[in-house]
Amino acid sequence: MNGTRKNANAAPDFAAPDPKALEAIGRALEAHYADLVQAPLPEKFVELLARLEAGDRASEPQGSGDANG
Amino acid sequence: MPTASFKDGLLGEIKNLRAFAISLSGSVSLADDLVQEALLRAWSNSEKFQPGTSLRAWLFTILRNIYYSNYRKRAREVQDSDGFYARRLTVPGDQESHLDLEDFRRALTRLPAEQREVLTLIGASGLSYEEAAVICEVGIGTIKSRLSRARSKLAELLALDNASGTPAERKVRRAG
Repeated sequence: MNGTRKNANAAPDFAAPDPKALEAIGRALEAHYADLVQAPLPEKFVELLARLEAGDRASEPQGSGDANG
Repeated sequence: MPTASFKDGLLGEIKNLRAFAISLSGSVSLADDLVQEALLRAWSNSEKFQPGTSLRAWLFTILRNIYYSNYRKRAREVQDSDGFYARRLTVPGDQESHLDLEDFRRALTRLPAEQREVLTLIGASGLSYEEAAVICEVGIGTIKSRLSRARSKLAELLALDNASGTPAERKVRRAG
């Protein structure tokens, strides 16, 4: 391609998709991600944090033990 | 010990962390293991988090490190096998340029992880180029070039580039 753009500091060895394709990709990417974020959260993660919090509180008097697990 | 607000912060980020993990590993089951490990590591290293900086970026960094050191090989084996990408959904948009989400996800798994993560971080997770550069431990220029490579590879895989007709039209043509 001999179309040069001002801000292209390195000549890419691939063709840039056209604006419509970029738009479609952007929208698909957002939909993909939004679908994942909206999925119900497995209970186990909430439970894990609750356990960690409870565990820390229980071992607090012991002071700082080894934290590398 | 981590504060209650740190815990609330983690809680608020789990969904995003999981979405990033799934996008990166291509597998829900692997992603859940990754998220679990990342949360454990974040909890025991909470003092290293600097308040006022992005908790999301910090968690993504942790999860990404775990992925590249322990999970990358496993990911290649299980990718696509848990049926996650078999979900049928269509990306909303005008009729002309809609993409099937299943097609898109399949294409996404075919990108190198380095491209997939940059695409996800910037195109979906709402992180800045600067944050993505810190997370991926590369310069902003590298982030930008990975991003454009990722986009053009996707366009190629999804046959969006320069070919005549919209994806939907081509799909019909291919089927016919």
